[in-house]
Amino acid sequence: MANDVWALAEISGGKLASISLQLASKAAELAGTLGGSSAAVALGTNTQAAAADLGACGVQTVYASEGSVYDEYLTQPHVEALAALIQQHQPRLVLFGCTNFGRDVSARLAARLGLGIEYNVGDVAADNGEITMIVPAFGGSQAVTMAFQGEGTRLLGARPNAFATNRVGGTATVESVPAPAAPSNGAKVAGPFGTEGAAEAGHLGKAPDGHDIWMPAASGAKLEEAQIIVSGGRGLGGPQGFAQIEELATALGAGLGASRAAVDAGWVPYAHQVGQTGKTVKPTVYIACGISGAVQHKAGMGTSGLIIAINKDKDAPIFSFWDLGIVGDLNVVVPQLTAAVKQRKGS
Amino acid sequence: MKIVMCVKETPSTTAEKRFGADMRLERRKEDAIINPFDEYSIEEGLRQQEKHGGETIVLSMGPATATDTIRKALAMGADRGVLVSDPALAGSDAVATARVLAAALQKIGFDLVLFGSAAADAYGGIVPSAVAEFLGLPLLSFATKLDEDGTTAKIERQAEVGYNTVETQTPALVSVMKSINEPRYPSMKGIMQSKKKTIDTMSLADLGIESGTVGAGASGEKALSAEKITTQRKGEIYMGNDGAAERVVAFLVEQKVL
Repeated sequence: MANDVWALAEISGGKLASISLQLASKAAELAGTLGGSSAAVALGTNTQAAAADLGACGVQTVYASEGSVYDEYLTQPHVEALAALIQQHQPRLVLFGCTNFGRDVSARLAARLGLGIEYNVGDVAADNGEITMIVPAFGGSQAVTMAFQGEGTRLLGARPNAFATNRVGGTATVESVPAPAAPSNGAKVAGPFGTEGAAEAGHLGKAPDGHDIWMPAASGAKLEEAQIIVSGGRGLGGPQGFAQIEELATALGAGLGASRAAVDAGWVPYAHQVGQTGKTVKPTVYIACGISGAVQHKAGMGTSGLIIAINKDKDAPIFSFWDLGIVGDLNVVVPQLTAAVKQRKGS
Repeated sequence: MKIVMCVKETPSTTAEKRFGADMRLERRKEDAIINPFDEYSIEEGLRQQEKHGGETIVLSMGPATATDTIRKALAMGADRGVLVSDPALAGSDAVATARVLAAALQKIGFDLVLFGSAAADAYGGIVPSAVAEFLGLPLLSFATKLDEDGTTAKIERQAEVGYNTVETQTPALVSVMKSINEPRYPSMKGIMQSKKKTIDTMSLADLGIESGTVGAGASGEKALSAEKITTQRKGEIYMGNDGAAERVVAFLVEQKVL
């Protein structure tokens, strides 16, 4: 009880998000160190499959609540179910992802139950029964060591990819929990945007040679696990420039990333966004093409093994945290690089 | 329609930032700006007012000097401001901040409350949802588009691929993403007019909040120490297009990823 550590899984449309496995792995590890038991909470549809995946990451129990209400309303049903579970079992620590979902749910829980909450956590350790957290601050230039104070369950929001997925093998005991009724005054998910015109929604225009340019298909898992990431920003000038770096990424077998500017411009889906409001990535090599390197972007990629920057502006902030910098024209360098990579792989 | 935009005073993104002895961010008056994310919620409030009429109110919690920051939002076009300020609020965490904003919102009254998706200093992004919980209302979060017709608020909500539409009845709370609009610059006329607009100040006593439930003492967490992160990077520069591709390929080969 007093030293139990839980992870809140993220399930959307019956699909378990990869951060859930990172949280479950860390919950199992921390509970082991603290001498408590570990659990994951799975709310949504297809929770049996989720429970198997979460159990494989070492958690002993999965509280599974099956219900379409979780897909039909934002946040509120999840908070109802989780608040009841926390009050019943009183775990010491509940791990969330610092995602849109995790932020909304944990904030309501903290407000409702009066729980302490820490977010943007990059690392956590338990030592002699004490929990300490490392939180990057000021665009990742400083690491702040934080501790909880006071009594009761504590909530911890972890940055995506802060924890490794550790499939130790194992089967969790599944405890079924009833789903709450639909909230009388809720935020109802009315449906996906652009269903009728879905075929057109991803169409970005025509290239000079007449062929259609489409928004790249999202491949989030690949981005977070990729050894190399090719990432593009505003400096690419438009969807055509983005199509060029997509070709480079394909040639390298790399993940495709983007700055917020490129996502906001509609050149690439949000799933590819790297940075403070997107994903946190740690590839061996990060190739930033036409990305100025604002602190918000750096927060999502600053711990990459090696950073290659290609930018025509040698005064861009990216040229303050780089390993190899090319000051040149992306429209020339990127296609040449794609050709050179293809040639080398072919030989 | 009564529209309230919640704003935070933050240090400018380019300001040098450091911690004080109490491990709190040192806030210098000369660096203070409107949280850049909140410019989008202010703009959205003004656009909704242009469509539906009514009143726009800027609400902030902060030091007494935050009236200058509220004045900047009034210069963009909002009608009046409310500042919650009290010495006991120093060091409040996100949940305490939400408690105070919720109480102030109840006192002001509203049909629509708008937030930026996060603040550029702490980057928590949890205040809007906590305010919604204290008020017992739904939150339409991370909106990239907002339609409001007097009884229903409907947003497009950023998803991994594309968007979801999410709706609720009003009164409603909405947090907005930067892609929702392009904030206006204050006009000279707007700046002049802002000087005559009202900014009311509320204390904790005015809101009926016990000082023990807010401030640093009520915070559920504390900072122990901070250290600079330094990473050694090679910092090689290659100028020009010629041979650049070959240099990158050679670099990738050296690093054994190609």
